[in-house]
Amino acid sequence: MNVENALRIENLGHSYGKFKVIEDISLSIDKGELSALIGPNGAGKTTFYNAISGKFPPTKGKVFLGGENITGLPSHHVVDKGMCRSFQITNIFSELTVAENVFSPLVIQQNKHFKLYGNLFRDKQITEKAMTMLEQVGLADRAEQLVSSLAYGDKRLVEMAVVLVRGPSVVLLDEPTAGMNPKETENMISLIKKLAAIYGTTFFITEHDMKVVFSLAQKIYVLHQGHLLAQGNPQEIRSNEHVQEAYLGRKVNA
Amino acid sequence: MEYLLLNTLNGLSWGMLLFLIAVGLTTVFGVMGVLNFAHGSLFMLGAYLCMHAMQYFDSFWFGLLVGPLCVVVIGVLVEKYLLKRVYGRDVSYQLLLTFAVLLVLDDGVRMIWGSGYHVVEPPVILSGIMHIAGQDYPVYRIFLIIVGPVIGGLLWSFFHFTKWGKIIRAASFDNIMAEGVGINVPLIYTSVFALGTWLAALGGALAAPQQSLIPSMGEKIIIESFIVVVIGGMGSFPGAFAGALLLGLLESFGTVFAGRLQMALPFILLAIILLIKPNGLFKKGV
Amino acid sequence: MITNKYHNLLGPALLIILLFFAPLVMPIYWVMILSEILIMGLMALSCNLLLGYTGLLSFGQGAFFGLGAYSAALMLQGGIENLFLILLVGMLLALMAALVVGFFSVQLDEIFFAMITLAFGMMFFSLAHNWIDITGGSDGMPVFNLPSLSLFGTQLTFYAPTSMYYLIFSVVGIGTSLLWFIVHSPFGLILKAMRENKERVSFVGGNVKKLRIAAFAISGAFTGLAGVLFCLFNSMATPDFMHWSFSAKPVIMSIIGGTGVFLGPLFGAAIFFILEQVIIQFTENWMFFLGIVLIPIVLFFPKGVFGTLRDKIFHPTKQETK
Repeated sequence: MNVENALRIENLGHSYGKFKVIEDISLSIDKGELSALIGPNGAGKTTFYNAISGKFPPTKGKVFLGGENITGLPSHHVVDKGMCRSFQITNIFSELTVAENVFSPLVIQQNKHFKLYGNLFRDKQITEKAMTMLEQVGLADRAEQLVSSLAYGDKRLVEMAVVLVRGPSVVLLDEPTAGMNPKETENMISLIKKLAAIYGTTFFITEHDMKVVFSLAQKIYVLHQGHLLAQGNPQEIRSNEHVQEAYLGRKVNA
Repeated sequence: MEYLLLNTLNGLSWGMLLFLIAVGLTTVFGVMGVLNFAHGSLFMLGAYLCMHAMQYFDSFWFGLLVGPLCVVVIGVLVEKYLLKRVYGRDVSYQLLLTFAVLLVLDDGVRMIWGSGYHVVEPPVILSGIMHIAGQDYPVYRIFLIIVGPVIGGLLWSFFHFTKWGKIIRAASFDNIMAEGVGINVPLIYTSVFALGTWLAALGGALAAPQQSLIPSMGEKIIIESFIVVVIGGMGSFPGAFAGALLLGLLESFGTVFAGRLQMALPFILLAIILLIKPNGLFKKGV
Repeated sequence: MITNKYHNLLGPALLIILLFFAPLVMPIYWVMILSEILIMGLMALSCNLLLGYTGLLSFGQGAFFGLGAYSAALMLQGGIENLFLILLVGMLLALMAALVVGFFSVQLDEIFFAMITLAFGMMFFSLAHNWIDITGGSDGMPVFNLPSLSLFGTQLTFYAPTSMYYLIFSVVGIGTSLLWFIVHSPFGLILKAMRENKERVSFVGGNVKKLRIAAFAISGAFTGLAGVLFCLFNSMATPDFMHWSFSAKPVIMSIIGGTGVFLGPLFGAAIFFILEQVIIQFTENWMFFLGIVLIPIVLFFPKGVFGTLRDKIFHPTKQETK
């Protein structure tokens, strides 16, 4: 039985002129497998995400989503095919309400974005899905609030809701706990676990916080100076000498 | 053949004038990120104040010296009290604010000097005709063709060889860093705006003897300056030079071959450049 | 719970009543000023669809206004008298032109978008100015016959200023209502989302370019409608409508009134014209004073006059978010 990987990357590389930011990255993630990409700053993690999510096409290599070649497709097509992402710096609609933020992906998914009439609040197909998502992330009581008036941690939750409400098969999370206090981080970890269990979404996260990585990831990929240094389960990575030298060495975690 | 030469000379002299005005606009943009809609009005003011100064001493050179300096005073006031407040804001606000300044200056000039034409005579030594390839050609235009590169060269040397010039270039590349090393960025901004104003006003004073003065002369030139800046690349000094010459020659030859399309030529060029090379022919760099 | 927002219709209803009864209490001169306010208000509202709702600054809307005006003038000169046809064709022509211009313009962003719309606008201006055989050149195209309307058996003509006012009032009223529905539709939500964060829109699956073209086309269509009305009102179509300095007017009106409020641009248009009327009593240099008034508005009233007033009166405790 041939089960396609949720996400498969073949020899991906991206250069700016002669400068190679990332090179020769290959990996494959199974459906439902929660993976993490770690590496020091400047290793190329964000470039990697940008190149596979459609922000720009990679200069080399291929990207397969559920077996389908999506290399170089623009971001709105990638989302259409079922891969969504969050950003390191919260990237949502500040002067809209929480509800409006979560409505937007649904409007587009249900092909209503050229509908020139109609009250969204009466559209059950949209409001029910949006409410369910907001309940999952714990923001249902703040649906009417302007996102700009929310606390930082709550804004990150809005971004999670926006990213997940379309029900994508693969979700890239770029440093989901960046800037969060320990309590918010705990919340985010359990939220990701819960959502993965309920929706069967394949999460691929990058993180600096090793505690988050080791409590979530089933498989870890280590990026160093643009190359994939190592890959394996948390045990293998922890005991990998090259990784320790290049990266983990400085972070002491039990 | 003579027509080719004459049109080229016309294109060059007009292009040099455009260069002086556009280089001020592009430098202000390059350093401060502001596109000054009122830049054309400063050009117009330069012409009018030059004319006014000439009434005190019957000398064009005096007007050329004093007029633009007076406009610089106005420019500095505008920068310090108005422009400074919108630096961080959306570009629409900056355009609107400078548009409002344009209204005030243009109509202000109308109130003082009226809406009619005024004429400025070129200085005696430059007012003659010379013979080029068997045709008569005004000396003043040749003067403009020479003056352009001279001032351009002086500006370039200023930016590359003097301390002030290097500081300005540093601030244009990274103003946060510049502030971090102790450079007084607000002062730089005011100085750069003053320089840009002076160049526009100088352009106006230089243009005065060869075109009639009218309050709306600023509105025509601002659009042309925008086009030059975009063609050359926003913030690029060599770009302003190349773009100005290109537009000058295009307009000059346009009168010959384009007929009724002539008016639309600069805009067609602008649209083409924007669609093919929106960052202009040169990259940003003073 | 996400509640259904019931929009406060009291204000707009009051406005409609006031506008309806205005000609009964105003001198003819002011009825005509009000007519102009309504027409330019419609243009400003369409301009704000781009500026306030989508986040796009266009300096070329005058091209579509002029197209509406010229198409009306051409049809009237050609003997066509059906009012509906004239209104519709003007809108349609403007819509198609806006689709073409929009297709090219959305390839660019921010200041470059403003510039290319200016460039296209001026190309249309040159066309109108120089194609003397068709457009009459810089003198413009005069209109001698106005269309008439058969309603409930009677023939309505619009030569009297008051009748013209009611025609304008009705058409602007319908146009404004349509724009209101559009802005509150799913499409409207996505427009606002693009204004806030166009990258995020593409990352939730939206084709930003296509959406922007749609917004540009709709804005162009309603601008063209305003142009048709202006031609009927002035009995004339001139190239000046297509000049960039004319395109700047709806932008100024929107900002004065407030781009964040639906009716802001309409109030901006009113303030603009009333200011003009007041100032020209004293001096013909009213642009000078417009500039003087505009400067503090831009500096200190980022939400426009109407926007700021509305906030202060209805949401005095609302925190400034920026």
